[in-house]
Amino acid sequence: MLISISHLSKSYGGLAVLNDLSLDLIPGNFYCLMSPSGSGKTTLFRILLGLERADSGQIKGLDGLKISAVFQEDRLCQEFTAVDNTAMVLPSHSPLKRQDIKRELSRILPEESLSRPVSTLSGGMKRRAAIGRALLVPFHMLIMDEPFTGLDEDSKKNVISYIKEKTSNKLVLISTHTPEDVSLLGGIPITLS
Amino acid sequence: MTNTWQWLRKTVIIGFWLCLWQAAAFFIDNNIILVGPVEVFRCLAGLLFLPDFWKSIAGSFGKISAGFLTAFFSGVLTGSLAWRFSFVRELLNPVISAVKSIPVASFVILSLIWIGSENLSVFIAFLVVFPMIYTGTIAGLSSTDKQLLEMAQVFSMPARKKLWYIYRPALIPYLSSSCNTALGMSWKSGIAAEVIGVPASSIGENLYMAKIYLSTEELFAWTLVIIVISALFEKLFLMLLNLAAPAGLQKRKEAKS
Repeated sequence: MLISISHLSKSYGGLAVLNDLSLDLIPGNFYCLMSPSGSGKTTLFRILLGLERADSGQIKGLDGLKISAVFQEDRLCQEFTAVDNTAMVLPSHSPLKRQDIKRELSRILPEESLSRPVSTLSGGMKRRAAIGRALLVPFHMLIMDEPFTGLDEDSKKNVISYIKEKTSNKLVLISTHTPEDVSLLGGIPITLS
Repeated sequence: MTNTWQWLRKTVIIGFWLCLWQAAAFFIDNNIILVGPVEVFRCLAGLLFLPDFWKSIAGSFGKISAGFLTAFFSGVLTGSLAWRFSFVRELLNPVISAVKSIPVASFVILSLIWIGSENLSVFIAFLVVFPMIYTGTIAGLSSTDKQLLEMAQVFSMPARKKLWYIYRPALIPYLSSSCNTALGMSWKSGIAAEVIGVPASSIGENLYMAKIYLSTEELFAWTLVIIVISALFEKLFLMLLNLAAPAGLQKRKEAKS
């Protein structure tokens, strides 16, 4: 279903972060938000995720839409393994069992890291665990806020190919600062003014 | 090698203080004012064979631990309710503040009037422990990572999963820290209450009798018993509490220690 954002505005303490934003998002497309820091990317994501309310404007097409997310921070439960972190967000009717989660995560993370608490993983591993979690949950739309921070080139390429495989025909919204990421993802660049 | 060296150092230090204690007792040469460790251990060895010794320990242990455990579970429950509903917190605040600031001795005397001496230590241990667990529960739940709660909202995590994966790891370190203090306090206040109330078959009764008969060696021997039981109870309870913590939290604690 098409998501239509029209005349969306949001300000904090008088400072306008989003100003009259209008945008149509079509399922099956990869959208890459390329604006500089402070231009409202994270605010837009938070509004789409239902974590903030816009001051004005409206978004159509979100009803009944399952949204998954990679936040700007990893937001993993540090005391648990990457497998636990994924299992805890899966719905009870999910067909994925622990061994399936392990098999999937091992495509982007070293096998040995999957049995360790997240607190013992490196920054790049935590990032990949957060990405894996978001991709294994059932979703119609995926929001990723600077998902490749802390990833080396090889990991990034591997993660991007995994993301592309898991998001075919789905709507993906990614914020990034690197133009190279847009071409690797085959995304549509969007600049927030 | 390092462990053996540390063990040796500790033994030498303890040995030094025991020798100093024995020397002080030898020079003072008055068994009412100070008895040495040798006499204390001799007295304790004699007590070990008396059935009343074990009966007194069982009596005090049962009552103080009952007071502690009741306070622990009700403290966690009411603390959780107070964290969730600000009205409950506001309602309970004056009572908690009063219980925290009223001297234990006043409570002991009031409790003697209200409930008599038999279950005095249960009530006093409860009163001392409850505010600590209640406050620790509120602090622990309030320390929950807001970003993780947002993550849970986005992924529609059910309440039981949030409780297990997000609130539990935030709560347990605070509970553990509160219990560390509360466990020792429950024994100190419970025994003090027994000394004032003198219930039958209790450690407090034995301490009181030691005072009446000016039996300093028995006083020291019973004090040693209290220290050992209190330490064992503390170790056992904290071990059980640690089992309730997520494996990752246990590993982090082990790495720190």
